[in-house]
Amino acid sequence: MKKLRVTVEGKTYEVLVEVMEDSSASLSAARPPASASIAPRPVAPVTAPVAAAPAPAAAASAGPGDVPSPLAGKVVSIDVKVGDTVAEGAQVATVEAMKMNTYIYAPKAGKVSAIHANPGDGIEEGAPLLTIA
Amino acid sequence: MPIAKELLDQLAAYRETALLGGGQDKIEARHQKGLMSARERLLAFFEPGTFMEIGMHAQQQCVDFGMAGKSMPGDGVVTGVGYVDGRPVAAYSQDFTVGGGAVGRIHAKKICDLMEYAQQAGMPVVGINDSGGARIQEGDESLSGYGQVFFKNVLLSGVVPQISIIAGPCAGGAAYSPALTDFLIMTRNNANMFICGPEVIKAATGQTASLDQFATAAAHASVSGNVHFIAEDEHHALEIARKLHSFLPSNNVMDPPHQLTGGLTISSDPGMNELVPDNPKAPLDVLQVIARLVDGGDFLEVHQEFAKNIVVGFARIEGMVVGIIANQPTVKAGTLDIDASDKSSRFIRFCNIFNIPLVTLVDVPGFMPGLAQERGGIIRHGAKMLFAYAAATVPKITVVLRKAYGGAYLAMCSRDMGADLVFAWPTAEIAVMGAEGAVKILYKREIAAAEDPKAADAAFAKDYREKFASPYRAAGKAMITDVIEPAQTRSVVAMALRNTLSKRETRPPKKHGNIPL
Repeated sequence: MKKLRVTVEGKTYEVLVEVMEDSSASLSAARPPASASIAPRPVAPVTAPVAAAPAPAAAASAGPGDVPSPLAGKVVSIDVKVGDTVAEGAQVATVEAMKMNTYIYAPKAGKVSAIHANPGDGIEEGAPLLTIA
Repeated sequence: MPIAKELLDQLAAYRETALLGGGQDKIEARHQKGLMSARERLLAFFEPGTFMEIGMHAQQQCVDFGMAGKSMPGDGVVTGVGYVDGRPVAAYSQDFTVGGGAVGRIHAKKICDLMEYAQQAGMPVVGINDSGGARIQEGDESLSGYGQVFFKNVLLSGVVPQISIIAGPCAGGAAYSPALTDFLIMTRNNANMFICGPEVIKAATGQTASLDQFATAAAHASVSGNVHFIAEDEHHALEIARKLHSFLPSNNVMDPPHQLTGGLTISSDPGMNELVPDNPKAPLDVLQVIARLVDGGDFLEVHQEFAKNIVVGFARIEGMVVGIIANQPTVKAGTLDIDASDKSSRFIRFCNIFNIPLVTLVDVPGFMPGLAQERGGIIRHGAKMLFAYAAATVPKITVVLRKAYGGAYLAMCSRDMGADLVFAWPTAEIAVMGAEGAVKILYKREIAAAEDPKAADAAFAKDYREKFASPYRAAGKAMITDVIEPAQTRSVVAMALRNTLSKRETRPPKKHGNIPL
């Protein structure tokens, strides 16, 4: 119940008013005051920063004269012996990977000075099979 | 009254100045080094007497830094149209004798105007790059010129074939124009291409790097993959460009230059049967298969030195131009890896743009396993192959020679990827994975429970192999058009192509798909 003073054509009346349904009150309460400054809402990041995955260890690297395996696989055969003289392009080893034999050819002519893998061994990509001096 | 003699003399004088470019002495100096002038390159490229120059009398217009009134004949670039194989081709050639071939505003405008003309007329564009870079005196106008050339490159991409020849320096931003074109041919010597040179790399990072390591034709053709062809010299570069052009239509609404014969020669080639090794583990050199498949063994291999585990290139089969994509089991067992996927998907998309049918030869054990591949994004890169094949609407003919395993089988244009016709040799193995791996999953419990697990494993593997190491299971499910003798390959593929040349396939309209780049 509210008491209001109303003036009509110079004559003042005092009236009692009952507000049956105070919708404006609830609305105004829900609305922020127009003058209030709108603070930026902190935005939760959709994606959290993640730590970078660890870098893989460097593959076994081949030295000078080493004949590396071009892919990871299983050594099927070493087709030369230490001391053999090989021509450039001669087949020196066979590696099996991905259901397929890959033949390894001598990248240069020379003498086989060392053999680093045996038939049946697993071998990493880039790891030396043998050395041609 | 005939035309006044002075006017003709004046024209002759203007022409002489333009034709000499940077001057007789500079042209002589090039000849001493065994190099042609910019104009000589174009004359050597086109059929004799067909070159029509555009913008011969163009001049630089800069007035800053003492450039006012300075003559730069043609503004350092020769542009025009000539004929190759009886078809017009637009070409430009940067003139190193004029201010080091540096790009100024008029230089760039000439190139852009030529490209616009080529787009309107529907003819290929060949650019011969030999330039020191931006003309510093013109500053932002030079930079803007590059931008306009790039924009035109993109506009023309997919409309007319664009071929770049790198026959001199091509540094910094200048390298991006060739990179936006379809094919790059680079001379083995006298040419470099890079974004940052050795000095900049040293200053910015402290790394010592020589041009040999990253900027030469050899480095780009084999390591970075930026270059498609290595040319021994500039004559060879022009020859490669002409050869390439012989397989390409002038624009995207024309068919490639098929040389259709009245009838097809349907004959058996027993030599193909002999190529196939007895042992499924012995690699089959797919280049030998291609040599027997295509007309006269004439195969123009693209990206020959890059990702050699897959072979792509152009040829004709009974006169029909085709793009061939083939796994190469002699390299990395023929697996698909990141570079192979990038190489072949770009090639497939080029063929699709220019209505060139695709012939796919499958001998693939799978995607390359390995940490480096997974970390390098083989999922994203391998997906390009699936995307490119599925999006291609040209005739797609697939022949499964031997191995066709897992996702890699799909990535090599299986029936499901929209191949129109799929043939298989009796040696074809079509399966989700190899027998050894598969039985360990399928029969894990049975093998563990067996008295002799090793024997059980072997028995299951044998059974699996019998089921899948042949094409008949897939053929039984109508996934294969026919099983053919290797000797029939050429005649069957020729007939398949001929039957499919009239293919018309429409797709829902869209701006473009979102290939996983």
